[in-house]
Amino acid sequence: MIQAENLTKVYNGKAVVDGLDLEVDEGDIFGFLGPNGAGKSTTILMLTGMIEPTSGRCLVDGIEVAKDPLRVKEIIGYLPEDVGFYGNMTAEQNLDYFARFYGMDSRERKERIAELLELVHLDGVTQKAGEYSRGMKQRLGLAQALINDPKVLFLDEPTANLDPEGVREYRKLVEHLADEGKTIFVSSHILSEVREVCRTVGLLAKGKLVAQGTLEEVARALAPSDGDAVRIIVETPERLPAIEDPGILSIERNGSRAVILAMADIRDRLAESLYSQGVHIREMHLEEPDIEDVFMAAYRR
Amino acid sequence: MALDRLLNVARKEFSDHITSRRFVIILVLFLVISAIGMHTGIGYYNDMLESYNQQLQYMQELEVDSPYVNWMPEKPSIMLIFNSMMSYMTTLGGILAIAIGFDLVSKEKETRSLKTLLSHPLYRDEIINGKALGGVGALGFAMVLALAISLAMLLLFSIVPTLEEFAAILIFGAVSLGFLLAYFSIALMMSTVARESGNALIYTLVIFFAVSSLLPLLGTVAADVLVGDPPEPPEVGLIPTIVGRSVSATAGGGYFVSSASQSVVQVGSEDQVWREYEEELRNYIDKRMLISDLTTLISPQMNYYTIAMAVTNPQITATIDALYNSGMAPEETPGLAEALGRVWMNIAALIVFPSVFFAVTYVKFMRMDIR
Repeated sequence: MIQAENLTKVYNGKAVVDGLDLEVDEGDIFGFLGPNGAGKSTTILMLTGMIEPTSGRCLVDGIEVAKDPLRVKEIIGYLPEDVGFYGNMTAEQNLDYFARFYGMDSRERKERIAELLELVHLDGVTQKAGEYSRGMKQRLGLAQALINDPKVLFLDEPTANLDPEGVREYRKLVEHLADEGKTIFVSSHILSEVREVCRTVGLLAKGKLVAQGTLEEVARALAPSDGDAVRIIVETPERLPAIEDPGILSIERNGSRAVILAMADIRDRLAESLYSQGVHIREMHLEEPDIEDVFMAAYRR
Repeated sequence: MALDRLLNVARKEFSDHITSRRFVIILVLFLVISAIGMHTGIGYYNDMLESYNQQLQYMQELEVDSPYVNWMPEKPSIMLIFNSMMSYMTTLGGILAIAIGFDLVSKEKETRSLKTLLSHPLYRDEIINGKALGGVGALGFAMVLALAISLAMLLLFSIVPTLEEFAAILIFGAVSLGFLLAYFSIALMMSTVARESGNALIYTLVIFFAVSSLLPLLGTVAADVLVGDPPEPPEVGLIPTIVGRSVSATAGGGYFVSSASQSVVQVGSEDQVWREYEEELRNYIDKRMLISDLTTLISPQMNYYTIAMAVTNPQITATIDALYNSGMAPEETPGLAEALGRVWMNIAALIVFPSVFFAVTYVKFMRMDIR
């Protein structure tokens, strides 16, 4: 549904987005991760037809964005980071203004706006948008992004201004929209947020896509490599005896606990050896890379 | 560019303007002061009319062989009343135009609504053109209100305009709107260029005062520097001859004052020196006039005064024009079309001025970084 091919954007001689290749399937909830300044928002602006790429191209539903931005805008919804509205107008008036660009008639607009305001719990709010809290603005932003019942939804830091209840409702809404078959592209620098709602992720750092796939796939791909070696954690109630095995590369001992770096998964042999020495095993497992740590390390690279 | 999208933007902008407190306050102030000016103008017109009636009565009493029997006093035009509106137009009208335009784009950048708007299916040129159209509509609305109040006041004082006077009132309105557009275009451009509305307002006011006060002054200074001092007359026997004419026009406090003067020197009929002096003086005056005209063309204020004067008081314009060209005041008051024809360059300048600023705004907005 969303494709980027060698997508590049250069500002003042510096590539903010650098040869980005990306593919997001229809109905997916894709998390676009990366630290601040990685180029996430610039990528979204190119994908939504708001700025032109310096080189490369991007397609949404098979339409090349730079060549036909209006057709793309008709089928997408976009919630910008720190979304803004016309402060002198109510939520309904703001939405009505935007809805007119989709050629909706008066009755259609009225029905859609009422439905959306109810969805984001802003129905019955008579204040003007200028008096809204940031959370209310964010919810109104979500409503404006859905005004045209889009096929693809781009959300830039969608939970940035929401309270915990708002975040919970947002997650439910995203799940619901994905169940309807919409493709959702969520840009965020908060891993926990992406982890909660997204099915696949892409990690952007310094304008380049570092990895893409499910969260586990990405974490594995980014984990520090020991070749094919694995780390086995062993803990016993008694003091650990000497462990001999040709597959062991190194052992870090700490009383009854050891971190064993081995050429392969030798847990069965280790268990047998310890059992034969009369040692009980309290715990033995392969050490999986910690996703947070892996992403933090990738952010810093 | 789709008309419905452009009109959607324009409709919203127009509605924003006419319901904004800022616009309403300045508009009310403008209308009240214009109405007071009109009232003063009507009083002046009635005095002129009374004087005209007295002259008519005097003419009827003249004997047939009197040398003045064929002279007819000229009936005052009701357009004189609109003279008083001119200075209010250039101050409060200018402020109204600036108030409408100075934050049109910068405010959208500040509140980040521009990004939200651009995420919907419309092109950038539709946004900027819609904004310009909405602003022009609001200024047009203000102008229509001002003219409607003026007409109502005329009728209230039992002054009924002729068809030609009515046409002149409409043209006066159109010219005034053209003047307001000049400042609106500057404000809109600054709003597009500046990051913040506060800066946009300051930049606009700087240009406003530069073209309204500084430019005419610079014109005089430039004339002094470029043309230098007038030639000294030779100290020999003299015969009076008209060799040069100068014209000037100033406005302030609700009144426009024009003057035309002829430089009279005494030339010795046998002396070639005086002929040379005559030629030098003529060249000197021509050069000063050229610099003065060029300065006028860059200033929307001066263009507006010149055109509005041609509409409200064509006799003065014709006199200035005739004195400058032939040295003889015209015998008949020119028609409206003829009066406007005499100031075509100012009309063109008043059209070109906002067009240039709109063009810069357009280019800048199309290239604006919206990150």
